[in-house]
Amino acid sequence: MTARPHLYALGAIVVLGLLAAFGVRDAVVLDLVFTLLLYAVLGQSWNWISGYAGNISFGHAIFFGCGAYASALCVTHGLTPWLAIPAGALAAAALALVTGFPTLGLRGHYFSIATIAVAALVETFARTTPWLGKANGFELPIASGWAALQFPQKGPYVVLALALFAAVQLATIALERSRLGYYLRALRANHAAAASVGIDERRCKLIAFAWSATMASAAGVLYAQYTLFIDPPSTLALAISIDIALIGVVGGIGTLWGPAAGALVYVVLAKAVALRFGGAGKGYDLVIYGAIICLIAALRPYGIVGTIVDAIRRRRGSIAVGPGAAAETPA
Amino acid sequence: MSSLLEVRGLAKRFGSVRALDGVDLDVAEGSLTGLIGPNGAGKSTAFACIAGAEKPSAGSVRFRGREIAGTAYHRVAALGIGRTYQLVQTFADMTVLEAVTTGALLRRARLRDAIAHAQEILAFVGLAEKRYRLGRALTVADKKRLEVARALATEPTLLLLDEVMAGLTPAECGAAVELLRRILARGVTVLMVEHVMEVLMPIAEHVVVIAAGKTIFSGTAAGAVRDAGVIEAYLGSPLEHGEIAGHAP
Repeated sequence: MTARPHLYALGAIVVLGLLAAFGVRDAVVLDLVFTLLLYAVLGQSWNWISGYAGNISFGHAIFFGCGAYASALCVTHGLTPWLAIPAGALAAAALALVTGFPTLGLRGHYFSIATIAVAALVETFARTTPWLGKANGFELPIASGWAALQFPQKGPYVVLALALFAAVQLATIALERSRLGYYLRALRANHAAAASVGIDERRCKLIAFAWSATMASAAGVLYAQYTLFIDPPSTLALAISIDIALIGVVGGIGTLWGPAAGALVYVVLAKAVALRFGGAGKGYDLVIYGAIICLIAALRPYGIVGTIVDAIRRRRGSIAVGPGAAAETPA
Repeated sequence: MSSLLEVRGLAKRFGSVRALDGVDLDVAEGSLTGLIGPNGAGKSTAFACIAGAEKPSAGSVRFRGREIAGTAYHRVAALGIGRTYQLVQTFADMTVLEAVTTGALLRRARLRDAIAHAQEILAFVGLAEKRYRLGRALTVADKKRLEVARALATEPTLLLLDEVMAGLTPAECGAAVELLRRILARGVTVLMVEHVMEVLMPIAEHVVVIAAGKTIFSGTAAGAVRDAGVIEAYLGSPLEHGEIAGHAP
């Protein structure tokens, strides 16, 4: 399968994003685009370990938090926030390896439970540790320019988020065409059969998890530089982990464009409800979102993009159309 | 001919159940050896222990002169043992070509080379036209063929086939036997489990019969069907009936 259509689609998104970054003055629209891209990155990060590899993570916020806290620590200690990108990535990858090593070779839900437990530990640790700002978190000192990774307008932030999104999508296109991508899909489909062709489950999944954490951390750095304020509820909370997982599920697990589609639904829905109902509508978006998730779980367990891929395959005749053919879900 | 695989005193306990209790078998290089036995004899467990899917409780498994008992499953594949499953284990949401490519990646660094090798293997087993089908959309016979292709793509020295004929129509069985002969002609050694002895009779040079977790016969297929112990294992002995009736000595 050729990557060309995906590269064209990504190119079109980048062009559109750049037009928005340089052409649009409306801060609300730019904020929407930035948030959308950030969630798409987080969704894709989650998709590596939970979609392609098939191990559901409920603690992805902590990797996002690694980047955000790395950024806050760098800036408040007078270091360049650019240093937070590798530092946050290392911390996130290390956390991922520690969480994944004992659990990624096991059957059942140990991994998911471990992610929840580690996330709770990390959040509590941040809440109670003075050098991590305790419950108050950090306010980043105001600065300006590329060296400080801070800007008075939102345009440059959109450009940065776009670059990160493009990098993550390119990495995922490469993953789908790599040994690791084939191995992860094989493991998700059938771990015993995968071992019988020589696939080392723990090794493959640890690599995927470390990369996944690295991507989320990069999004965290960008988020901290954008909001200039971080605390445990905004970066480490379970609610954020759940949001990330839901974006992945709604869009379609294990698909290239699923996380972006999921993020679009999530962000547009939240904004639409906020605009329509204002402050009184707080929570309505979650109700509608919950309903959509119920519908997807009941009717289309592959999510939005998974359903489209299925339809294309059906047309090409690679799936027998008949009862049960589509009902089989990956184990 | 030297022995490619030498199994001695293989035992496997699940709690208090002795699934295997002294299996000995030899597979000569380049041969097709049959492993048969009545239902519940431990054939699939023996396979799992040889392939590394289960760790044996005791005994030795020597492959190319090297002890491999207890080696991690994925390492055994890398050493050169491929296998299929009694109940097919396909990669349901991968296409036929992708599944076989996954196998081919074991010995090929580049994806492009692995895909080329997978195409070759698919042509060899007769699945080339179905290469873009999903694994879950195949017939049982084709799923079994896909499993053989996936295992062959890893370029095994020894191929373990677990009841590849079960559930096939007579015509499909004929095609499977023809494929087996071509696999042997490639130089791959085959150890196959079969429940039905008639399938093995014309193709296996050597058969090993196990019953109740023990090797009870090792020799030619023709010899196996005349062996009193084998007949007893399949049909039950008069003495056992006596024991049940309470007339044991």
